[in-house]
Amino acid sequence: MTEALLIAQPAVPVATAALVLLAPSGRAADRINLLGAVLTAAVATALVAIALAAAPGVAAAGSWLTLDVAAGVFLALAAAVGLASAIISPAYLRHAGRSWFGERRSHVYYYAAFNLFWAALLALPLAANLALAWLLIEATTAASALLVTFSGKRSALEAGWKYLVLTTLGLGVALLGIVVLYVAAGEHGPASLGWEALAGSAAGMPGQATLFAFVLVVTGLAAKIGWAPVHNWLPDAHSEAPPPISALLSAALLPTVLLVSWRTELALAPALGTTAIRELFLGFGLVSLAVAVPFLWRPLPWKRLLAYSSLEHMGVLALGIGFGTPLAIAGVVVHLVGHAIAKSLGFYTAIPLLRQDPGAARRAARGVARFSPSTAGAMAVSLVALAPVPPSPLFASELLVLLGGIEAGLLAVVAPAAVLLALGFLGLAHALIEGLLGGRGRRGTGPSPRSARAVALLSAVAAAALVALTVAACVLPGSELVQGLTGGAA
Amino acid sequence: MSAAVAAMVALGFGVIVVRRRSVATALVAVQGLVLGVTALALAGGEGGALALAGAILIVRAAAIPLLLVIARRRTPERALVAPTTSVATRLLLGTAVVLVAVAATPPLGLGERVAEHGALALLCLGITTVAVRRPALLQVLGILVAENGVYLLAIAVPGGVPAVVELGVLFDLVLVVTVAGAFAGKIHERVGSGDTDLLRGLRD
Repeated sequence: MTEALLIAQPAVPVATAALVLLAPSGRAADRINLLGAVLTAAVATALVAIALAAAPGVAAAGSWLTLDVAAGVFLALAAAVGLASAIISPAYLRHAGRSWFGERRSHVYYYAAFNLFWAALLALPLAANLALAWLLIEATTAASALLVTFSGKRSALEAGWKYLVLTTLGLGVALLGIVVLYVAAGEHGPASLGWEALAGSAAGMPGQATLFAFVLVVTGLAAKIGWAPVHNWLPDAHSEAPPPISALLSAALLPTVLLVSWRTELALAPALGTTAIRELFLGFGLVSLAVAVPFLWRPLPWKRLLAYSSLEHMGVLALGIGFGTPLAIAGVVVHLVGHAIAKSLGFYTAIPLLRQDPGAARRAARGVARFSPSTAGAMAVSLVALAPVPPSPLFASELLVLLGGIEAGLLAVVAPAAVLLALGFLGLAHALIEGLLGGRGRRGTGPSPRSARAVALLSAVAAAALVALTVAACVLPGSELVQGLTGGAA
Repeated sequence: MSAAVAAMVALGFGVIVVRRRSVATALVAVQGLVLGVTALALAGGEGGALALAGAILIVRAAAIPLLLVIARRRTPERALVAPTTSVATRLLLGTAVVLVAVAATPPLGLGERVAEHGALALLCLGITTVAVRRPALLQVLGILVAENGVYLLAIAVPGGVPAVVELGVLFDLVLVVTVAGAFAGKIHERVGSGDTDLLRGLRD
């Protein structure tokens, strides 16, 4: 049963992609996509339930696919964001107008690429093998680069091209690392690159070559995760992609690729010791925070602001993994989920915002509360959670990560991180106030687009989920879920 | 092995230096050919390994260059895109990057030190090509040079890399080159040239 579900997980969206190509009209494509998305999410729900019920153990493990606690958490993330993006996509497409693919068939090609991208994203957390994970990540690049450029605008082409070239080069570096690792593992057959097999043979691997391979793999993947200083594509791709795709990129793609580097780290820890691993992850974390925070202070267009906030939050996750204590890992889990909810809501809000104020695509949004209370409300929920203002779960998670750092005795890292997070908080709080009330934005409520109602509903759901997550954050440290993620140490 | 590695690195330098996209495409095709022939030679007489090496030879030396030739035909340039850096600068930069890469590589346990150095050198040359060349198609060729470096290391692994992984990587490579070709066509249609320097609108 579980095996069948594991295979169905990527198969259902791939089948949806094929079916959607046969759709006679845009509307029919909307319906087929929605049906496929609900089915995909149902399969994911079953798998997540199976994975979490077995915590802290592993529900199912094969040579290619695994269903452990980490797979459950990240699968839930990719499935939930994907479903929400599928639901909101028609609202975007209705007014998208001309695209790369021409107007008539644009829905069809959008959904086909969307489902292929989603299929790879859903399979990625389930990959039990580093080589398979690499292949899936490369597959996400091809599909998502087309989606980033969907609008066909010059700026979107620039963003898509940058994304395609930089992440492909990064993955080339990671692939070299994988080959070196395969040699270091000293065994033959694809199974030797499985997480379990790597962990088993790590103690006997040559230290220098393994460290070299690890640095290549993590640095290569960093280009895809968007860690500074190899993040150049991130703000452009997030701001130029259609909002439902930006949500998938930021809330699902970056974390699931991060999971691959996390799993590599856990598998190779016996060969490398904690110091080298820590230095690499903490380095990426601090540099990402330091690069992102100054941009949070600038009056950026809404989606670019959210993109730099993604860079900041990926930095927090890198710090959490680098600290590696159970407290920090609990923080990482809360942070992942909270960031996914708040960030995807933020990107969806761009749909009504850009309809009501098209100029907001090129300059910072101002005085939104004066012309659209519902859009302003959604922006507020998103930014309050991302800043993060208590009771945001991200406030709790950042606290947990920093406490985890203190627990690990790394005050020299915790102190600058805390300062940078505080500065980021002030920047986003400032952006929120200016965005809602600032400037001389036009007054009165114009015609409210249908997407505004959908986003208002989503923001109510998101707010409830965020509060529930804050409550969960209080009981998560020491739970079986965290034990499952740290290999039993909690 | 040494001769093959030397030829591949020399071809990699060629891609950084030459002016015309067609010449650079031919250089990368020859690089794929050298790589494929080396893989065939290393495969020994074993049937499965030979078939795999043959398939990879066809894709790397013929199919992918063909995709690029089609992409180039669809994007005719009225004039050569003038490089922003001189040939000497690019050669010097490439040499410096290769020397640093070779010096920084620890023994990777392959036994074939020359293949280890060659792989790293090609990876770095590919990245440098993407950084210094402006035409979209030449940047794709940079990616291919880097990928050829990775594949050079893979064929030097005693016993080879698993066939399923090699085929998967090959499939992904064809996919990415196809998408990149479509991009190059679209950029040309939109901007009137494949010069990626004209795409510099997104800045903060």
